[in-house]
Amino acid sequence: MTALTMPARPKHDAGLRPVPWRRMAWVTWRQHRAALGGVAVFLGAFAVYLWLTGLQMHHAYTADCHPASSVACTLNFTGRYATTGNVVSIFVQVVPALIGAFAGAPVLARELETGTFRYAWTQGIGRRRWTVAKLVLLAVAVAAAAAAFSALFSWYNQPFFAAGYVIPFSTRLFGLREVSFAAWTLAAFAIGALAGMLIRRVVPAIAATLAVYAGLALATALWLRQHYMAPLVTTKPNLPGSAWAVSQWYTKGGKFAFGAHGSGIANAVNQLCDNGNSGLSPGQCLSQHGYTVWTSYQPASRFWPFQWIEGGWLLALSVLLIAATVWLVRRRAA
Amino acid sequence: MNMNIVETSGLGKRYGGTWALRECSLAIPAGHVAALVGPNGAGKTTLLNLTVGLAEPSAGAVTVLGGWPAGSPAALDGIAFVAQDTPVYKNLSAADMLHLTRNLNRRFDQPYAKARLGELGIPLNRKAGRLSGGQRAQLALTVALARRPRLLVLDEPVAMLDPVARHDFMAIVLTAMTDDGVSVVLSSHVLADLERVADYLVLLSHGRVQMAGEVEDLLATHRMLTGPAAEADRYAERPVVRVGRAEAQAHLLVRAGMNDPVPPGWEAHPVSLEELAMAYLREPGAGALPGPARSRNTQPSEVTR
Amino acid sequence: MDIDKHNGAAGGGAGASPASGDMYPGQHLRVSDAEREAVTDQLAEHFAAGRLDQAEFDDRVERAMSAKTWADLSGLFAGLPGTRAPAVPELPRGGGSAPGSPIEFRLDAASGVPTYLQLVHQVEHALRLGYLKLGDQLPKVRDVVASLAINPNTVLKAYKELEVKGLTAGRPGQGTFIQATLGQVALPELAGLHKSLLGWLGTADAAGLDEDGIVALFTSALRDFYKRRGGAGARRGAASGNTEGVA
Repeated sequence: MTALTMPARPKHDAGLRPVPWRRMAWVTWRQHRAALGGVAVFLGAFAVYLWLTGLQMHHAYTADCHPASSVACTLNFTGRYATTGNVVSIFVQVVPALIGAFAGAPVLARELETGTFRYAWTQGIGRRRWTVAKLVLLAVAVAAAAAAFSALFSWYNQPFFAAGYVIPFSTRLFGLREVSFAAWTLAAFAIGALAGMLIRRVVPAIAATLAVYAGLALATALWLRQHYMAPLVTTKPNLPGSAWAVSQWYTKGGKFAFGAHGSGIANAVNQLCDNGNSGLSPGQCLSQHGYTVWTSYQPASRFWPFQWIEGGWLLALSVLLIAATVWLVRRRAA
Repeated sequence: MNMNIVETSGLGKRYGGTWALRECSLAIPAGHVAALVGPNGAGKTTLLNLTVGLAEPSAGAVTVLGGWPAGSPAALDGIAFVAQDTPVYKNLSAADMLHLTRNLNRRFDQPYAKARLGELGIPLNRKAGRLSGGQRAQLALTVALARRPRLLVLDEPVAMLDPVARHDFMAIVLTAMTDDGVSVVLSSHVLADLERVADYLVLLSHGRVQMAGEVEDLLATHRMLTGPAAEADRYAERPVVRVGRAEAQAHLLVRAGMNDPVPPGWEAHPVSLEELAMAYLREPGAGALPGPARSRNTQPSEVTR
Repeated sequence: MDIDKHNGAAGGGAGASPASGDMYPGQHLRVSDAEREAVTDQLAEHFAAGRLDQAEFDDRVERAMSAKTWADLSGLFAGLPGTRAPAVPELPRGGGSAPGSPIEFRLDAASGVPTYLQLVHQVEHALRLGYLKLGDQLPKVRDVVASLAINPNTVLKAYKELEVKGLTAGRPGQGTFIQATLGQVALPELAGLHKSLLGWLGTADAAGLDEDGIVALFTSALRDFYKRRGGAGARRGAASGNTEGVA
């Protein structure tokens, strides 16, 4: 047995070298390899599916979709794969939430729930380094896995975009594309970590993470995203290709008349256009009566800037949430 | 080593509106086994949590290892803590726990830990969740001692253990003390066996320190007087801790040295540590704090009846 | 301890043995119980073989059992042929390795006697009965702590007390060793005292005293006796505890 002799008292704290950061690599891996493995297996299985189906789709597209508007395309490509593609994208929507909830929430919640924090936070490395290292390592890991997965998913969807079946800004798909998907996964993880620290129980923290993430994702898709840059406005009835129509309204004589949906336009169409029986489309009919249609839209060229904006604010949010989590860890009394 | 391993002054901790610990001033010297004794809810766990840095004081201060603030890197380095119910990661094996602890600390004596686990017959590759309670406690203790701490803090370490496991556990703690000069602070609400193990006592009651001092001194300054019940009241002005009175005979636990004269007609006996602790715990109003020589806080307050 | 080894270590030739009645080096060394028993066994063999008659056998056995040193054993095998010195099995030492302490402590948790005093008493008791002799080592502090799970400071306190009494001396880095003995009472004397005590107890019991009464009477008589002899300082090798009143 080795008996170390220690100085009666270290001269001052600065003389005590802190435990190196790299030690936390094994610790994080060993304690969370189940979660990381689960994520890997889950994404991996999904990826295999996407790969196999995607190959078929690409083949069908190449064979039949030149031009994309041909009947053959509709028959052999869009008709066969569109529904599947929709369903798949719905499943993929859920992926960041699941990863965030199951990889992020238990990190702190399980330690607090089982009492093992009384061991972890009294070790020489100190609770700050322990928390920061764990959260950063896991965050980077899940974000990287998500980025790889979304690259494959984008490849999978590429025929749909090429065939004009969906626009780049598709609400359903925007958040699942390259930068966005990784950022959403990161944000979900950060939400999970903070929820775990606040709630201190694993299952409720997972539930809370899923709920908060869903709320945030919905709010972004339905409202926030369209405001990243001021939309362009036009009176042309047809938008440039693949643009994203944000909203539409009618004016008459320079004044706002009614929006493109709702009772206002319905009444007008009833009154002026014989309820659609005049043989003209509502748009043509209304314009005959002096109404001008305005459309605000985001052009397709703004796709990448929007991706970066979304990625940017999600990244900032994640950093903020993780910092808040670390701050709570330092403050928390046993 | 002539320093105080734990020193507190006016230490207090409040949870919400309740004070779990108040006005706690202690100076526990190094090289001892200090026992925190008191009923459940007395504040033992709170005091230990404050000492190891798991909680922040609401009032006062606590320093460890001769002056380092509790929870500072130097304190974390030199103190190993085994919490109540000895938490270990249930899905990690003993070997994993060793590896984990080695990664989380500056110092780790891997050969010692392996040897100890081998002697105890704890398999290295079985998940901790499948070990018995006693084995888990020994595992937690082994990784704690392998860190070569200067202070070992144990919260109700043997509460869940059977007598054999209890003996083995304490034997290892005490041999660490012998071999490496580790000081020990442990909490217990079991008084039996205390005298064998503890040489410094801190008695906590309702969040306050009722009595603290070296066991030797405490025993030397108390004794039990037995005599006629009719005369018991005559001693109201002496520092009496507890009176047990029957019809003819009364027992008084008094604060007096063995050389103080015994009143005629009375017999004097020494008290055991268990008797002493029990008597104080039963009389929350009685208190005996360490004298000026032992702490910076020079207010020994005795409540006499 | 093997007598042969003894001879060999001392450089004596193969011819030196108790059988020839020669004096051999080491004759002043003490005999252990096991060695006495080994000698007695050998004598029994000779008796069974018919070389000794009953009276001689009894006589030699008595001498063997009351032998204190190897010198006392000399001549016991006089006239008996081809006796090799009995090989005495080495007693397993408690605690493992060969140079250990002859004694091991035990603890009576319920006795009410402070732990360190129990250790002191056990050492004195062992000295009186001959388990511990001059130069023997007391159990290492670490071993006591490991086997009894008691505070090491307690063991140190007990050993310090023994040092103050002059019974032991510590050698730094080696341990604590016996350096003085208590007044030895020979085994036959002890047996005689035991017998007369039993007689007294019979009388006390017949007079109607119960056990606690006997203890109280004895304790007060003990105190009177030593008071008359001149106070606590004159207590020969007795423990000084803080006991007043009924223990």
